[in-house]
Amino acid sequence: MKKVNIVLALVLAGLVSLSAQAVEQRAWHKEVIGKDCKVCHDNGIKQFPSDQACLQCHDVDDLAAQTARSEEDKWQNPHNNLHYGKDLPCQECHGEHKSKKPLCSNCHTFKFDKHKE
Amino acid sequence: MSNVDLLGRRNFIKGMGAAAGVAMAAPAMAVSEKADGVKWDKEVEVLIIGSGFAGLAAAIEATRKGAKDVHIFEKMAYFGGNSAINGGLFAAPGTPMQKKEGVEDSVDRMVADQLKSGRGIADEALLRHVASHAVEALQMTIDAGAEFHPYLQQLGGHSVARTYQTTVSCGAGITQPLYKECKKLGVHTHNRSKFEGFLVGDKGEVLGVKMRENYHFGEDQPGKVLKIRAKRGVIMATGGFAQNVDLRMAQDPTLTSEVGCTNAPGATGEGMYEMFRLGAIPVHLAHIQSGPWASPDEGGFGYVSNYSIYNFPHSMAINRLTGKRFMNEIADRKTRADAELACRDEQGNPLPPILITSYKDSKKHPNTKKVIKYNVGWKFDTIEELAKHFEVPLKPLKAQIEEYNGYVKSGEDKQFGKNMTKAKDKYIEAPFTVVRLWPKVHYCQGGVQVNTKAEVKDSFTGQPIKGLYAAGEVCGGIHGVSRLGSCSIPECMVMGMTAARSVMKA
Ligand SMILES: Cc1cc2nc3c(=O)[nH]c(=O)nc-3n(C[C@H](O)[C@H](O)[C@H](O)COP(=O)(O)OP(=O)(O)OC[C@H]3O[C@@H](n4cnc5c(N)ncnc54)[C@H](O)[C@@H]3O)c2cc1C
Repeated sequence: MKKVNIVLALVLAGLVSLSAQAVEQRAWHKEVIGKDCKVCHDNGIKQFPSDQACLQCHDVDDLAAQTARSEEDKWQNPHNNLHYGKDLPCQECHGEHKSKKPLCSNCHTFKFDKHKE
Repeated sequence: MSNVDLLGRRNFIKGMGAAAGVAMAAPAMAVSEKADGVKWDKEVEVLIIGSGFAGLAAAIEATRKGAKDVHIFEKMAYFGGNSAINGGLFAAPGTPMQKKEGVEDSVDRMVADQLKSGRGIADEALLRHVASHAVEALQMTIDAGAEFHPYLQQLGGHSVARTYQTTVSCGAGITQPLYKECKKLGVHTHNRSKFEGFLVGDKGEVLGVKMRENYHFGEDQPGKVLKIRAKRGVIMATGGFAQNVDLRMAQDPTLTSEVGCTNAPGATGEGMYEMFRLGAIPVHLAHIQSGPWASPDEGGFGYVSNYSIYNFPHSMAINRLTGKRFMNEIADRKTRADAELACRDEQGNPLPPILITSYKDSKKHPNTKKVIKYNVGWKFDTIEELAKHFEVPLKPLKAQIEEYNGYVKSGEDKQFGKNMTKAKDKYIEAPFTVVRLWPKVHYCQGGVQVNTKAEVKDSFTGQPIKGLYAAGEVCGGIHGVSRLGSCSIPECMVMGMTAARSVMKA
């Protein structure tokens, strides 16, 4: 039993130090969040952040306003889109530690110039 | 989408040598168990799995029939499944718009059209049940706020115009209002919740489910499995399995990962297979339909599909090798998909055929502008330009256009017997719009067998499995060999409502 705990502790320690050192982080987040993984990882370090985590700092309505498109392309707004409205969790298109394509690209060829993969 | 390929045959075989142990371990955990002595983590009144048309309609109807505590569980991060990306085409017989447009239609007529396309193996009782309640289901969407184009469409295989379409030309024009209605009614919705098996009582009745919460599709994250008791019953509305390359190839080996797919990534079928393990009857699993209106120039359903569905009646589909037509542009789906797949170059490689439409007629569809803008379709001022761009032999093409325009005039297509009613006065003339066509795996006709009460039947007793209901694409046998376009929305909605009524009576 004891041994298992030690192994587990080692693994956990490894994960934490890994995330603090080697894990990729978005430049703009580094300044605000620094190395405090728990700011986002509200479900525990080993789990993905909850769908609410990003919304501590970001406001969906603001984002929707920022990415609004012309009337004709109104529903191509990733933050207020035809299929899911404003309910699409951030992590579907944005990854902090790895690159992601916008969900729309599964079926559509339109471009989001400001989206960083 | 690539995540789903993890289940793909080739990857699966590749993985066998290196990591067979790992590959096998995960699915083995996901099975149904006896509920004896189980400690329930949670209890709900009506438990619905899947958040497409079937799940949403079931939730609304259950609430209207008096349920106080209705829960929808959805494995993806977002709600709506295939329904949210669907084309928004809804067929119903005897609608107000048909009366306005003077279209003679009836339940019998719609069922007859569907039986024909089903090629003798469709389930007439279920088709009749759905057609009889289709207007009711249409009303539910309108009451929730769905809006429809002010015209009817006649889709391939339908003998009359009976199809409504949402103004946004997408199923989201229905799922969004239904989802909001659910919220308004106090339905509890849970995303990232993956159903992993049933918990059954002594007599094989379904008492509850195992639900993995905090599930991230396609990611390696364990989450936590909850045991949830369903007081009244479980409604399975988990959709089809078109995205599961391994399972669809098990049924039809030609549907390899090279064949595209229009479905949402979550259409992987484990809900259906779990019901089979419980004893449900598999029907028509090998009948998997490909959409003949899809384009190889974009992913999924994209913009072209609805563009071509609207335009087929007054367009010409051309084989690029010959410059000639090769099919009735409004035949049923299987007929057209097979004809397209036969369009190949001299080496036998796919040579996607083209759909030629006069711009004056195509531009009435809202997608036309977008198809051109996003480079998945093209506009040409002359036939020479068009022929050059797609390397179509010019002379036969010109001759074909002339011949076809003769059919537009006479109202009789001597080549393929196409119904020319909707092509009246719509000559093929410059300027033209053109898209490329290639089928994509689209709809699973097969699934578990249900009766007209949406009860799932047991393969040994022939009796309904107590506590278990299913609705929507996860059910099989209704449409037979080939489903007609716009007939899934009424089916999903009606059977969802039916399942809810049965649950509330049980
Ligand atoms: C692109 C496209 C366009 C279409 N256009 C039309 C059209 O215009 N008209 C028409 O009549 N039909 C159309 N169809 C067919 C129709 O949309 C589908 O048959 C229908 O949406 C199926 O609805 P459903 O409620 O059964 O399943 P879905 O809407 O697919 O919902 C099932 C849900 O269950 C979830 N799920 C699956 N497994 C689990 C699990 N283990 N745990 C938890 N949740 C799970 C899925 O993620 C999904 O969200 C179209 C289909 C596609 C793909």
